[in-house]
Amino acid sequence: MLQIKWVWKNLKGMRAQFITGIALSLVYALMSIINPHLSSLIVDNVIVGTVNEAGETVRNMDYLVPVALSMIGVTFAMQVANYFGIVLSDTAGQGFIYNMRKRLYQNMQNQEMSFFDLYRTGDLMTRLTGDLDMVRHAIAYIFRQLLVCVVLFLSGSIAAFVINPRFAVCLVIVTPIIFLLSSTYFKKIRPCYVQVRNSLSDLNTCAQENIEGNRVIKAFASEKFENDQFRAKNKAFYDINLETNLVWLKFYPYIEFFAQYMSIAILFAGGIFLIKGWMTAGELSAFSMLTWTISDPLRTLGVLLNDFQRFFASTDKIMEVYYQCPTIQNKDDGLILDKDFEGHIRFEDVTFRFKGETVLENVTFDIEPGQTVAIMGETGSGKTTLINLLERFYDVKEGRITMDGINVKRWNLQSLRSKFGVATQDIFLFSDTVEGNIAYGGDFISMEQVKKSSETAQVDFIGRLPNGYDTIIGERGVGLSGGQRQRIALARALAIKPRILVLDDTTSAVDMETEELIQRGLNSLDFPCTKIIIAQRISSVKNADKIIVLRNKHVEEIGTHSELLANKGYYYEINCIQNGSDEDGEEADYGQK
Amino acid sequence: MARNKFDIDEKLESEFSFKHFKKAMKYVRSYKWKMLLSLVLSIFASVVSLIGPMITEHVLDVSVINKNMTEVVVLSLVYIASILTMIFLVTLRSRIMTKVGQGIIFDMRQDLYDHLQKLPFSYYDDRPHGKILVRVVQYINNVSDMLSNGIITFVMEILNLFFIGIFMFILDARLAWFVVAGLPVLTVIIFVIKPQQRRAWQDISNKNSNMNAYLHESINGVKITQIFTRQEKNYQIFATQCNNVRKAWMRAVYTGNILGVSVPMISRIVTSMIYIGGILWLTPAVTFGTIMGMTSYAQRFWQPISSLANIYNNFINTIAYLERIFETLDEPVRIADAPDAVELPEIKGDVEFRNVVFSYDESKIILNDVSFKVKAGESVALVGPTGAGKSTIVNLLSRFYDLNSGQILVDGYDISKVTLHSLRSQMGIMLQDSFIFSGTVDYNIRYGKQDATEEEIIAASDAVHVSEFVKEMKDGYQTELNERGSRLSQGQKQLLSFARTLISNPKILVLDEATSSIDTKTEVYVQEGIAKLLEGRTSFIIAHRLSTIRGCDKIMYIDNQNIVEAGTHQELMAKKGAYYALYTARSH
Repeated sequence: MLQIKWVWKNLKGMRAQFITGIALSLVYALMSIINPHLSSLIVDNVIVGTVNEAGETVRNMDYLVPVALSMIGVTFAMQVANYFGIVLSDTAGQGFIYNMRKRLYQNMQNQEMSFFDLYRTGDLMTRLTGDLDMVRHAIAYIFRQLLVCVVLFLSGSIAAFVINPRFAVCLVIVTPIIFLLSSTYFKKIRPCYVQVRNSLSDLNTCAQENIEGNRVIKAFASEKFENDQFRAKNKAFYDINLETNLVWLKFYPYIEFFAQYMSIAILFAGGIFLIKGWMTAGELSAFSMLTWTISDPLRTLGVLLNDFQRFFASTDKIMEVYYQCPTIQNKDDGLILDKDFEGHIRFEDVTFRFKGETVLENVTFDIEPGQTVAIMGETGSGKTTLINLLERFYDVKEGRITMDGINVKRWNLQSLRSKFGVATQDIFLFSDTVEGNIAYGGDFISMEQVKKSSETAQVDFIGRLPNGYDTIIGERGVGLSGGQRQRIALARALAIKPRILVLDDTTSAVDMETEELIQRGLNSLDFPCTKIIIAQRISSVKNADKIIVLRNKHVEEIGTHSELLANKGYYYEINCIQNGSDEDGEEADYGQK
Repeated sequence: MARNKFDIDEKLESEFSFKHFKKAMKYVRSYKWKMLLSLVLSIFASVVSLIGPMITEHVLDVSVINKNMTEVVVLSLVYIASILTMIFLVTLRSRIMTKVGQGIIFDMRQDLYDHLQKLPFSYYDDRPHGKILVRVVQYINNVSDMLSNGIITFVMEILNLFFIGIFMFILDARLAWFVVAGLPVLTVIIFVIKPQQRRAWQDISNKNSNMNAYLHESINGVKITQIFTRQEKNYQIFATQCNNVRKAWMRAVYTGNILGVSVPMISRIVTSMIYIGGILWLTPAVTFGTIMGMTSYAQRFWQPISSLANIYNNFINTIAYLERIFETLDEPVRIADAPDAVELPEIKGDVEFRNVVFSYDESKIILNDVSFKVKAGESVALVGPTGAGKSTIVNLLSRFYDLNSGQILVDGYDISKVTLHSLRSQMGIMLQDSFIFSGTVDYNIRYGKQDATEEEIIAASDAVHVSEFVKEMKDGYQTELNERGSRLSQGQKQLLSFARTLISNPKILVLDEATSSIDTKTEVYVQEGIAKLLEGRTSFIIAHRLSTIRGCDKIMYIDNQNIVEAGTHQELMAKKGAYYALYTARSH
């Protein structure tokens, strides 16, 4: 019932439509009692006729046209009520999912990375589509139908008791059995629908990853393997659906039989009651008109029970995401980074663990505003983690990170992140135009700025794209080569004119001439900018004001290119390997530009 | 380049037509005997259901008047028996039809999925992935009911209509015309609303697909969104998408229900006309019994129509989904085994390009008349400016695309004449994008060779230094990774996909920027580690790091649609051409 309460709470703004919709459907259901009465009026007065005092049969033709027309009028009114009942309920249902989908989306967007480690894309998609649709169905149909059933059943039963209590007892005596059956079924079917729901999510996840990884699959010629895997998921979905239906079909005969019991009771008990003179023929015909108001709700009950469990299974999944709170949150009194912001970054004795593994240990360093700082280090040594911590994608528990002397946790999250322009290592582009991708950082980015950033980032292949800046590129930018994607990502980071520019291995797939040009461009930006460059190539880092070498989770060396060479440590070794100074005898020119 | 993005409706290649209908029937046909049996069961059930009212009438009119208690009891028992029979028949039918309905979705989904596996990269590159996904899962779920129960109900109701019609006309043809007169009105209504309804449902399918696409990439690109603090803007875009879905849906609700409410209205008007017409205009020719019977028939005649109207509504929304499903199924498989394709035997690794001309689309030639030979066991480095076609060369070698003209030979076999599987399974291709599947580390490495032993996995991991970081994970090789592989750094992902390529024991190895994110020292170790494994294997390496390139047996400089220079490092350095310029630019 928690689920229903939650839906009601979030139906705010739609409640009027929801309730009116239900009310109209009730009107429609209850009005359906009128026409049978009207037609019996015609039958009794016009077709059969009444017997007057003289003993003659009189047919009162005056009844015919007005009653026949009122029947049309009643039907018209009923159908209008029905139509608007449906439309309003659907409006409420759509309104609910419209609001809820937006909220879930917003909530999701602000979740931290560990949330996305927990929920796979296909699973989240299921929650925001199929599950929400189930709730829509509940609001637009199930709740309404249930109320109509309850009201019809109760009013039918009450009317039956008013007409002939003894006979009424005979009619409704089986309802406790039906309720017992239904509640047993209701409990039994629940796990089935939970499984159906999970199986659907599995299917979605499997298909989603397959689509995402289509290149790898082709590269390994593993289409057959993937097909088999999907087939297993598809089969599981088939099986659980079948099983669920079979459980239903086990209960269905009993529920259906007891619902049909009403017509048997009319026949059997009615026959006996009439013979015994316990009721009149008129009463019996009134009863046969009432039976459907009692038996139809009972028959619909089964279908509604199934829908309800499906609704519960889906709502649970939605509520789970709905109530997820990111642990990294904006403090209400978070400080806004304003114009006075300088950008002095300091890591103080930072130690960071992730899922039980130590990623960084006692890391301390400073970055002065406007400096270019390079970070180098072994694969997995925590280079990207440094950036993630600085931007608060994870919070540090030991040590502290400060920006202008104030702990990053005290800054307003949005204002902190908006100071950064990051070209990430794993490049994700959106299925949008080149321009849309470069101007991703905000509406304030003009076309001029897009072009300028593209120039700096050497997005010189624009001219070769079929529609220039208006060319649509695929998700993950699959239509482009690695180097091209990296350059678009760089342009995207530059376009917001960030105070702190982070290049996380951004030029690794760019050829060297182009990299040279990019570096030259970055050295002459027309806005103040601190640059943090993560790279593997000596050529990318050697001109930095400061080079930080990470190794084994800690800072191994800090210094300029020449200082580190003199140090003859890790950096020196890398330099030797990359420049092959030992082989060709062409000692690289280490002089600073 | 992509043709579609999240906020562009996909153009429908071909509207639903008889061709599609026939295709849909193909799925139904495999269950035709089961469906026929269900139909027979349904007919029996509806015949049995006629017994009840007959018995009731008899009991009330005859038995009660005669005060015949025994007859009441006996007939009640008969009634119970008829109900039990009916329930039995219906349950049996439902059991069969459940299987049919689920079976149809299973088959269709599997077909769609199998077909997707055969589609080329360009299919995936052309549209947001969320739009493909929505077809495989949601759309298929939406069509099953129509194709199973919908068909049975349709046939049943048509039969009902037919028989009741006959009875009606036997009873009184004049009055029967009153009943039937409602049909043209209904037809007009259907004709008026049908185009609206079609459009509304196509719109729902489009807008829903757009919303899915946006949602999908929002989840995948969430980190970028957070980095650029663009949540608010995205929220607005998403809200627009959601609102479009809502508007389309409500349009379908407005029009679709017109049909639902007009059927009872017409039916009521018809019944009233029977009373009025029958009594006033046709008296005394029509008896009152006839009028009573006819009103009851009229209601029974319009009931199936009401149910048919319902089916019709479902049909309209089903075809909006079916046409999308079939569109995907009709998507041509551009790269398939030639009809007479042979299995490529175990290869040595000789590769030859003969006058290869290639363009992704007709307009722009990427490679023009490229020819070269690589002997088995040689390593070849491809260098040149970004976008010059280095990746294209290796893509062509794996036959991810077909040539405009020319030939590619592996061990003397034209690769377009061998089966794709036998070709690709002997090649190890490491792409720029090191996609990690969700699953354990073990699962990801094993991806290259399903039946690999534990020793093989460890050996491959050792060779490329994967074991070093795996050892530090709590669950070792059983550590669960997810699709975004957020536990791993980019370099680690590359090492992992290296291991997965290596374990597949390829004869030809392609490394496309495969090591760009691996630090230099590890790369040196990795190269040492695989040097032994690579002995006797042909390898193509695309890299920008000169330390990687220099060691190759042959370097090819690609630019201007062709090979500009080729030779060893020393040869090219001595030549003082493009490679020399590149090399010196790097060192100074």
